[in-house]
Amino acid sequence: MLSINLVNTYRIPQTFEYYRPESLREALVLLSTIEGAKVVAGGTDLLVDLKFRRVTPRALIDITGIGELRSIGVGDGYVEIGSAVTIQELVESEVVGRHLPLLAEAAELLGSWQIRNLATVGGNLCNASPAADTAPPLLAYDAEVELVSLGGSRRIPLERFFAGPKKTVLERGEVLRSIRVPLYRRRAGWSFIKIARTSFDLAKVSAAVLLSLEGDTVADVRIALGSVAPTPVRARAAEESLTGTGFEEAVALAPELVAREIAPIDDVRSTAWYRLEVAKTIVKDAMRRAYERFLRVGAAP
Amino acid sequence: MFDFVGKRFPRHDGFVKAAGLAEFTFDVEVPGMLYGRIFKSPYAFARVGRIDTSLAESMGAVVLTPDEVPDALFNPRLLSLEEDTFKDWRVLTKTPRYVGEPIAVVAAPTEDAAQRALEALRVEFEEVYEPLLDPFEAMSPGARPIHERIVRGRRWVEVRNNVAAEYGYSEGDLETEERRSSVVVERRFHASRRYHAQLEPKGAVCKIEPDGSLTVWTTTQTIHNTKILISQVYGIPMNRIDVRKVPLGGGFGSSIHTNLVTLIAVGLCLKAGRPVKLVLTREDDMVHDHVGFEFYMRVRAGATREGEITFGELENTVDIGAHQVQAYPLLGASLGWFVSLYKWRALRYYGRAVYTNKVPSCAIRGYGAPEVTWAVETVVDEIAEELKVDPVEFRLRNYRGRGEIFWGQGPTVRSVIRSDGVPELMAKCSELIGWKTRGDPRSKSGRFRRGIGVGRGFHTSGAGGPLSGAVIDYSGAIVKLNEDGTVDYITALQDHGGGTLDAHAKIIAEELKVPPSRIRIVWSGTSTTVYDVCTHASRGVFVGGEAARRAAAEVKRKVLEYAARILDAVSPEALRIEYDRELNDAVIFVEGAPEKRVSLSEVARTAWQRNWGSISASVSYRATVAPPSFTVYFVEVEVDTETGIVRPVRVVAGADVGTVVSPELAAGQLHGGFSIGWSWATGDEVAYLRDGVPAHRLSMTDYKIPTVLDLPDDERFTVVFASTYEPFGPFGAKGLGESASNPVIAAVANAIYNAIGVRFYEIPMTPEKVLRALRGGG
Ligand SMILES: Cc1cc2nc3c(=O)[nH]c(=O)nc-3n(C[C@H](O)[C@H](O)[C@H](O)COP(=O)(O)OP(=O)(O)OC[C@H]3O[C@@H](n4cnc5c(N)ncnc54)[C@H](O)[C@@H]3O)c2cc1C
Repeated sequence: MLSINLVNTYRIPQTFEYYRPESLREALVLLSTIEGAKVVAGGTDLLVDLKFRRVTPRALIDITGIGELRSIGVGDGYVEIGSAVTIQELVESEVVGRHLPLLAEAAELLGSWQIRNLATVGGNLCNASPAADTAPPLLAYDAEVELVSLGGSRRIPLERFFAGPKKTVLERGEVLRSIRVPLYRRRAGWSFIKIARTSFDLAKVSAAVLLSLEGDTVADVRIALGSVAPTPVRARAAEESLTGTGFEEAVALAPELVAREIAPIDDVRSTAWYRLEVAKTIVKDAMRRAYERFLRVGAAP
Repeated sequence: MFDFVGKRFPRHDGFVKAAGLAEFTFDVEVPGMLYGRIFKSPYAFARVGRIDTSLAESMGAVVLTPDEVPDALFNPRLLSLEEDTFKDWRVLTKTPRYVGEPIAVVAAPTEDAAQRALEALRVEFEEVYEPLLDPFEAMSPGARPIHERIVRGRRWVEVRNNVAAEYGYSEGDLETEERRSSVVVERRFHASRRYHAQLEPKGAVCKIEPDGSLTVWTTTQTIHNTKILISQVYGIPMNRIDVRKVPLGGGFGSSIHTNLVTLIAVGLCLKAGRPVKLVLTREDDMVHDHVGFEFYMRVRAGATREGEITFGELENTVDIGAHQVQAYPLLGASLGWFVSLYKWRALRYYGRAVYTNKVPSCAIRGYGAPEVTWAVETVVDEIAEELKVDPVEFRLRNYRGRGEIFWGQGPTVRSVIRSDGVPELMAKCSELIGWKTRGDPRSKSGRFRRGIGVGRGFHTSGAGGPLSGAVIDYSGAIVKLNEDGTVDYITALQDHGGGTLDAHAKIIAEELKVPPSRIRIVWSGTSTTVYDVCTHASRGVFVGGEAARRAAAEVKRKVLEYAARILDAVSPEALRIEYDRELNDAVIFVEGAPEKRVSLSEVARTAWQRNWGSISASVSYRATVAPPSFTVYFVEVEVDTETGIVRPVRVVAGADVGTVVSPELAAGQLHGGFSIGWSWATGDEVAYLRDGVPAHRLSMTDYKIPTVLDLPDDERFTVVFASTYEPFGPFGAKGLGESASNPVIAAVANAIYNAIGVRFYEIPMTPEKVLRALRGGG
């Protein structure tokens, strides 16, 4: 049992060193030389963990002063988002709004105004909560993450980045530098639906859908879900089965297909049974909403 | 009709609060102050052996252990008469009975040093017992006693089967009434535990003055009872304790008693010989300090074919957790709520409070009325349906209204109802919501289904009555006219943040005919005020406001006397007093003689200059009635049958509070009342894991309350006030705070039924339960 006397949410009940480097290199050096150092961005997850003594770092390396981690850029065929970009910056970004509307929709539902102004997209992913709101959209977009350390950098699909609840494949000394999101080339409809206890809560279950049609046939569909498995997940098998079917048929089949790919649990926010049932519902809902948007996008000049 | 009552004025504390300048307990700083941290039990039921304080002390900390606090048991709430006060608490314990119970406490010069000292304590647990978390299990033969003996009044009493208190009552001939009934409905209800979620976590600052007396600043709804309990526990004379009134960041019952943290702070301060600040963190407060009561109820009621209610029966088992915070009067009050809802021709009641190894429960807005009202209003709805009578009609025919005897808080506080706005509210509110168009649940289909429900209820205005009764209820006020004609209002009565004292200022203003801006509400303490029992039972305006009015009336009498001297009038009775808009002052005059006119400020100045003496009054007031403030809620909900999510669509809230002293603040109470009721009806509950650890360990992350975005906005929330006048209230006013939430759960549950045809007998009605029921899972 976590001893209740070690918890103190007024004071962070532990001491640590604090660094705020201005270059990524400096951050990487600090991270590799100080045993037990940890990255902090907005701190909206980490400070809670510190107060509840779930982590005990010797040093915190604040990366929000590093310019290159704070920008959103458009490259050849992709959008690149620095890991320390805040959620509110995603919401307000014209690039994100234009190219990644599914991400923008999810970002707007994350936390409150105060939280969104501190919270970063990198922190949301590195914290690796199954409920992370930016994860399903980024999974749906086939995003890749760039991980850097003093030893060099590697780029892996986001889908392989999560290793379990609160676990990623980040190695010691490694930092998430950016998220690279390939532009979705088709005309698409999108929808992110989040079910939570209040309008200011982590998801009990969430679903992101990207949808493209040819006539009334599903040309491409991407379905990702949150809070229904140890990590945010793509429902790949379902996507495959649904591709090529008529839209109405796809909507009818999707719930059961998706249900096979998820494994929700009971916790303080909800139950496994409810999550499974509602995941099925909101996948359907998200497909319908994506469909409506698809038609509207087509109608626009 | 009135110059000030019912009008809008800036709140006296509005600016300081908005600007962040108000000094709450947390903000009190005393030079040389130490900071405390409590060592809480990690076990739900255990016995502590040795406590090794040496390491903490070697770090410079002061440590207080159970052996160093007074041995006597107490009840933190002083409300019942002494002989009916059940005492089972200690300041610090060696037998923790819930996770979080304070065992020891440390004090150190900084908050961080205090945390380190806390972690340096070594507490040995000799035994850890299997906790009893379910009240029925706790009552089963062979269950380990949570308390073997407790003190009732001044006598030791055995606790049997972990039953903390019992209460039985019956009236009339139940069997005959039942035989007369053509419909009888019996249901079992379960209302789970909820956290108060008051804005301000509890805390206390304690200082020893140079003369050895104590000054205490603390989160409390009652400074005088806090003073008395500190005196009783520590044996300090009451005139050596000054409990200061500081702004309170919401109560909802959480500080209705003297908080344990206050008593611990006093003990720590006495041992340290230095000022001490001890404040709870949110998780200390939320996970380990207090919750509302948990109810298991069985209701049986009947009616004749003609739609007349015959009998009612309520059996009530309350899971109170590990200690009593006046569980006994709760059992009596629950009976009071039950009796006063409808005209039962015969009734039977049995209530019992049961110990479990969980955080102790205390009053939460309504003190059992929301739960009892929910159960009764559900059964009544079912009876009306079976009789094919309109539920609104049925209620109007059978509720206890004008001229009826009303019990409110229990059998010892009876009085006759003199003001009753229920018919008016029912008519107006049902019209506004479109009651007649609500339809039958069986005729509704589609994914999103709407339903309209009604809940009717009330709360008492205080716990006064013609006889002394079983609980203490009186108030006091001091009004003092300064030499320039400004007014000081000095009262012990606490304002939880709802604007109670602004209402008082308007009442005093109305009596004296001076503007409220002329009246200063003084931040006082127990040394400088007369006794007020507590701001509870929705008595703030009705009892406290009347005390203020009486003190003002006394001042007015003296003003008129002096004015008569100044104006050469034959007697004060020859004079009139009115508000003069131009002077922005009261003027006293002789009718028909324009030159015979003097302002109140001039009277005050003259009394000073001519050595006539101060104009002031100190009043102690006991109300001889506790009239019901009636409320009626009509709620429209929409149920998503595929997710079980229930959304409030529209609310029409009707309130009979007599004269409305502050319309916008009263409307705010109804908005807040709905919000808290909605949260109880559909939101989160406080649950426990097998080892007795609260499931919402991460406090606000794990336990949610609705935000403004989850509630209807102003356009979808209509407030209606009845046009009544309560003859015993100050300028016709009654209470409101609790009646504002009492019928909400009932209205929501009835609305859900009207939408989907499913009745729920357990709250909260979470989406999980709603969906389960819709899928036939029961
Ligand atoms: C009140 C409240 C409401 C919330 N509501 C939501 C919600 O609705 N939806 C939701 O998804 N989340 C929510 N959160 C969680 C949190 O705000 C988000 O997960 C946020 O995006 C975390 O970002 P951060 O920058 O604050 O991360 P931090 O707390 O700074 O870091 C989180 C973790 O990631 C690591 N880390 C951060 N950046 C990097 C990096 N670049 N490289 C390597 N490691 C890194 C840190 O070491 C730490 O372990 C809420 C939190 C709070 C307190």
